[in-house]
Amino acid sequence: MLNFLLKRLLAIIPVLLGITLLLFFMLRMLPGDPAQVLAGQMASPADVEIIRVQMGLDKPVYIQYASFLNRLVHLDLGVSARTQNPVIEEIWAKLPNTVLLALCAITLACAFGIPAGVIAAVRPYSWVDYLVTIASLFGISMPVFWLGIMLMIVFSITLQWLPAGGIGTWKHLVLPSVTLAAFVVAFIARMTRSCMLEVLSQDYVTTARSKGLKEKAIIIKHALKNALIPIITVVGLQFGLLLGGAVLTETVFAWPGLGRLIVDSILARDYAMIQGSILIFGLLYTLVNLVVDLTYAFVDPRIRYE
Amino acid sequence: MRKKASSKHFKQFFICIAIIIMAVFLLAPVSSAAQIKELKIGIGVDADTLNPQEQTTTLFQNICDLVYDNLYFQDPDGTLHPRLLAKHEVSEDGLTWIMHLQKNVQFSDGTAFNADVLKQTWDRILDPKMRVPLRFAVSMVKECVKIDDYTVQLNLKYAFSPLNATMSMALVSPISSAALTKYGEDVRQHPVGAGPYVLSEWVKGDRIVLTRNEKYWGKAPTVDKIIFKIVPEATTREAMLRTGEIDICYKPLPSNVADLQAQKNIIVEMPLDTRTIFMGLNCQKGVTMDKKVRQAFNYAIDKKAIVDRILFNTAQPMDGPVSPKIFGYVKMDHQYDYNPGKAKQLLKEANFDFSKTINMRTPNGRYLFDKQVSEVVQAYLQAIGVKVELRTYDWPTYVAGLLKPIEKSELEVFLLGWGPLFLDADMALYGQFTTEVNPPKGLGSSFYSNPVYDEIMKASRKELDTNKRFALLKQASEIVWDDCPWIWLHVEKFVLAYSSKIKNLVVTPTEKFYPTYITME
Repeated sequence: MLNFLLKRLLAIIPVLLGITLLLFFMLRMLPGDPAQVLAGQMASPADVEIIRVQMGLDKPVYIQYASFLNRLVHLDLGVSARTQNPVIEEIWAKLPNTVLLALCAITLACAFGIPAGVIAAVRPYSWVDYLVTIASLFGISMPVFWLGIMLMIVFSITLQWLPAGGIGTWKHLVLPSVTLAAFVVAFIARMTRSCMLEVLSQDYVTTARSKGLKEKAIIIKHALKNALIPIITVVGLQFGLLLGGAVLTETVFAWPGLGRLIVDSILARDYAMIQGSILIFGLLYTLVNLVVDLTYAFVDPRIRYE
Repeated sequence: MRKKASSKHFKQFFICIAIIIMAVFLLAPVSSAAQIKELKIGIGVDADTLNPQEQTTTLFQNICDLVYDNLYFQDPDGTLHPRLLAKHEVSEDGLTWIMHLQKNVQFSDGTAFNADVLKQTWDRILDPKMRVPLRFAVSMVKECVKIDDYTVQLNLKYAFSPLNATMSMALVSPISSAALTKYGEDVRQHPVGAGPYVLSEWVKGDRIVLTRNEKYWGKAPTVDKIIFKIVPEATTREAMLRTGEIDICYKPLPSNVADLQAQKNIIVEMPLDTRTIFMGLNCQKGVTMDKKVRQAFNYAIDKKAIVDRILFNTAQPMDGPVSPKIFGYVKMDHQYDYNPGKAKQLLKEANFDFSKTINMRTPNGRYLFDKQVSEVVQAYLQAIGVKVELRTYDWPTYVAGLLKPIEKSELEVFLLGWGPLFLDADMALYGQFTTEVNPPKGLGSSFYSNPVYDEIMKASRKELDTNKRFALLKQASEIVWDDCPWIWLHVEKFVLAYSSKIKNLVVTPTEKFYPTYITME
């Protein structure tokens, strides 16, 4: 197990290197001059040039990459061109918010999605099943920003129960979590339903029934546990995506998170910031995947990592 | 015995209290205690730097103004008021400006404001190693010399009469010299100025908090604490204004202005801005080299319809080459009113080749409904038989395209906005239409070049007499208006929505607002 863990952790390094390489050169292929963006529309070419030199953008790309890697080895992600602050500081300020929101959303999604999927599978083609199917169709099809604004109109403006945006108290967390969870809940419910249906038609479930086991025990202990592997995979992937892809929700609810930071940095061509935040996002994503893989072993004892 | 003693004690106590209460009442008007504890303002983005010399975004220059104060303050009518500068004198040749500093001013950290600090500020601005993106605005200044503790002299490379208005820019606001020593360039995160407010908290991506500067030399502000809350989505800002989570909403969506105006507890203020939005026409390449074609394009577009239907009246059609809010503006006698018939006739006179497809470019999301405006212009041009292909770019890519020199330029028709940073026509008329600013040296991307026009604009910079200068600017305006290097579209309005409890909010045409002395019901 420990061996496996070590191997997987070491494997992260080439993945991240690959990310930096692709990202670094792709960014520099984008048209648009970061120095010009920074200097503003009215700046004189001479002043733009000064900024370009200050940012080290006058040097050849491979030299820029080498110095980037050199700094990376020393755990230095560089300085944001826009704010002149260390990239790591800027990310560190936003990361807890992102993780908090993603955790809340995924918890909500599991808490509602899995039971909904199980109930739908236990009574297939009943009204409950149709309800879950229709609701998840809605959840998947609704654009996040639309749902967010609708929730805001109802709960903030009309009922005045919850704040419309910002961070601070648990109340601020409700609307963005629900908005984010809506899509994931639907996804998980559908996944759970189809996995459960498959498992419930297996022979061992019939055997369990004929043994006279209680239906509840059959569903939870025998069926759900076996259906869990693909569900965990989906939850893991979705959680990974939530960590970096909650841009729209973050924007609608003025939630200062990583997604928004990445988009703003791209628009400003803030190379160091984009590289840093995508790298951190990549790191988190691979770590989440590792955790997912490890969870398999707990759920299914047949899976062992040697 | 005991009772007597205690009653005497009480008497003394009450007298003390009475004296304290009286003192508070008597002193109150003098110290002018703030009536408003907190003001929350919803804005779209977080600041990058609060170093006024580095800042290029109007909103953060606005915040810098609150923290650093200005040398001069230009009010919404364009009048200059003394602030950190008491007054100035100009030599006859216009090359020497003597600046007299306000006395008894100190920065919020206690450092005295004097000629040394102001000289240091100018040295930093003029130092080519420093990052000063707007340096072009003071490129006429050669050096700053200290005369005595409260007087400095600016020596100019060439005469520049609107230098007094230039002094209202945040660009020239001084930073405490002690703070510069303490923080170095990190001062951008730790601003220390002589303004009515001090930065007390800055939570990146969430809020910027200013509190009253107790050492402020001028009239004490009425608001104790100003919180700039970062809310990227305009719709969310509006929602927060309606729920009372914020008191002022910066730039709500034009499409929602009517709805906000209908709310009883919300005021929408939208003064005309200095920023003009236009379609640049390449004067040195392609079909738009012909003046008749450029004029035809101006007749072909119904600018009023664009303002009404696309921009929800948060703009006004241009009727001169600059915004009506700035010095030097004159409404032109001849107007290019919508007249497709005349446009077609002019194109015929110019032997226009209708088989050619014109390339039109637009940024997306930089200006209010920029892409939609471009689409409508495209439709109007197609309506008179001109084939137009429209391409959309994100801002960094777009600017890179604007700055190419004429040999490499692919520009034909392109949408752009230009907003002078103070209320004077120089930055518009000089900064867009003189040969000097043709790319790559400047952003006069229409490549307009007219020696007569250049001469008049140069003369206007030397002219210190206001009336004579106005006449020159008028003359220049008439020339460029006739030559049409642009399709003259519209002047934007600066939209600010706020709680109707707020009174006396100062809102300027340069897209700034000052809550310093507001009152609240």
